[in-house]
Amino acid sequence: MQDVLNAATLGSIYLLFALGMALVWGTIGILNFAHGATFMFSAFIGHLVTQRVELPMLVIVAIAVAVGAAMSALTQLLAFQPILRRAKSQHAAEMRILIGGIGIAAIPLAIAQRETRSSPFGFQSTYSAEVMEIFGLRITTTGMIIVLCGLGIGIGLTVWLRQSRRGLALRAIGVDPETTAGMGVNRPALAFGTMAVAGGLAGLAGALLTFQLGAIAPETGDQLLIKAFAIIVLGGLGSMAGTVLGAYILAGAESFVLEMNWGTWVDAVSFGLIFLILLVRPQGLLGRKEVRRT
Amino acid sequence: MSTWYDMNVILIQTTLTTLLLALSIQVPLRFGVFSFAGVGAFGIGGYTAAIAMVRFEWSTWPAVALGALLAGAITLLVGLVVQRLTGLYMGMATIAFTLIVSVLAVNGGDWTGGAMGLYGALGEISIPQLAVVVLVVVGLLQLTELSSMGRRVDAVRDDPELANAVGVNVVLYRRMSFLVSGLIGGLAGAMTTLLRTTITPAEVNFHLVIVSLTAIVVGGSRSWVGALIGSIIFVWLPTWIAFVAEWEKVAYGFIVAAAAIYLPNGVLGVIKDGWHRFRTRDERARAAAVAEEA
Repeated sequence: MQDVLNAATLGSIYLLFALGMALVWGTIGILNFAHGATFMFSAFIGHLVTQRVELPMLVIVAIAVAVGAAMSALTQLLAFQPILRRAKSQHAAEMRILIGGIGIAAIPLAIAQRETRSSPFGFQSTYSAEVMEIFGLRITTTGMIIVLCGLGIGIGLTVWLRQSRRGLALRAIGVDPETTAGMGVNRPALAFGTMAVAGGLAGLAGALLTFQLGAIAPETGDQLLIKAFAIIVLGGLGSMAGTVLGAYILAGAESFVLEMNWGTWVDAVSFGLIFLILLVRPQGLLGRKEVRRT
Repeated sequence: MSTWYDMNVILIQTTLTTLLLALSIQVPLRFGVFSFAGVGAFGIGGYTAAIAMVRFEWSTWPAVALGALLAGAITLLVGLVVQRLTGLYMGMATIAFTLIVSVLAVNGGDWTGGAMGLYGALGEISIPQLAVVVLVVVGLLQLTELSSMGRRVDAVRDDPELANAVGVNVVLYRRMSFLVSGLIGGLAGAMTTLLRTTITPAEVNFHLVIVSLTAIVVGGSRSWVGALIGSIIFVWLPTWIAFVAEWEKVAYGFIVAAAAIYLPNGVLGVIKDGWHRFRTRDERARAAAVAEEA
């Protein structure tokens, strides 16, 4: 049972990270390769601030969320929007967005690596984690917050996307951008907002993971990026519930591999999953064919 | 001339091997296949050649040939498996393949030397020999860019349905692009490894994908000339500008992002456009004059 709880904590981190990517990719069709860098850099800015002053947890998280949202929104405004405006076809735009994202991701990564000399960084905070015991299971307060945040935001976003008018507009863009624009949806504004929300989620994940582990390395974002891709593909692109499911499945599988002492094979789980799902069920567990973008 | 050559032997060598790696990614792109399997082939070729030399005491060129052939065969197999995927899905599946190669290398035990990698693969490859190999590869690729073959490749990329309709076997062409990409990638890996005498799993990572992709995007993705321009820019830029050497990775990030946004066809595209404008300037002047009279 303790292992299940640990896997749930890991899965919640994956979920918070993957939700932002899934939201952006599944609706406005942008696979943002700078998402991992946004995640890492938000936590890094939190680290820089807490080097000057010691802050309570909530303030640090707020800073990270704000930085993440700002970075992501700027990426959209300065890179992806111009690419979408200039590109002739959806296919050409996709590839240039991928490459542009890779380029943008290299910038904050290089800055953080330079400042920290590639060593892990953490926060100085007035907050200190306490170990709680529920039904004989041990969990830190940080772990508790992560699980609650992950599940809460995951379910909240799923419901919002299904129920609200904005959610409807976003899903419509995912199916047919042209017609949606014709029906009076302001695509650039909605895309801008979606990217900002996704960036905020990345910042939240970055801050929480740093609290959980004590410190993260600048390269953490890159590894999570591939895992998040595996999660989205597994769950089904365009399905938020699928992303929630995928995150916990991946975390469970990885925890199992670690538990069996096959530690060096952990990374192969996500890579193998990508391969397997794409071949056996390309639309993912909960995905529908028509929403799929290629 | 000879002092310049002596001073820059390493840089010339790196330029040539980078060019080969970039070509292994560029070939499938020219066929409209978004595959990064060439980087995985780089790893397979490198490890095969190193194992053949260190464990079986083969001499240099048979080891290189074995590495290239094995990498080509495996990449072709991967191509057969993933060929029905399109766009980003193909890209990520092949990235997953590349990363699996590196996980296998970590877990290869005595064969691959685990996480420490293989040492002491002392190949005897001189720069002129390397240059000859590169020239042969480039010469063969030039054949696929000229005349009717070049037009068929363009059709397979830009309009597969049309290509099918006029009797071009699109599926066969795409499979061949995997084979060629694997052969060139394996060749690049084998030669790079034997020149450096070592290979570690950490070398076959996402960063290598980025380097090769970057070279193509900045140089130009439609011709080997573009890959050459890109390789030269990326290997030599730090030696030309001290500022770039200090902020190398940040500068690369900016260059890649800017190229993705503003130069969809790379430096080569700009040069070609410029040449075209230069050649047609009389014609355009005449047309303008006619328009003014009318």
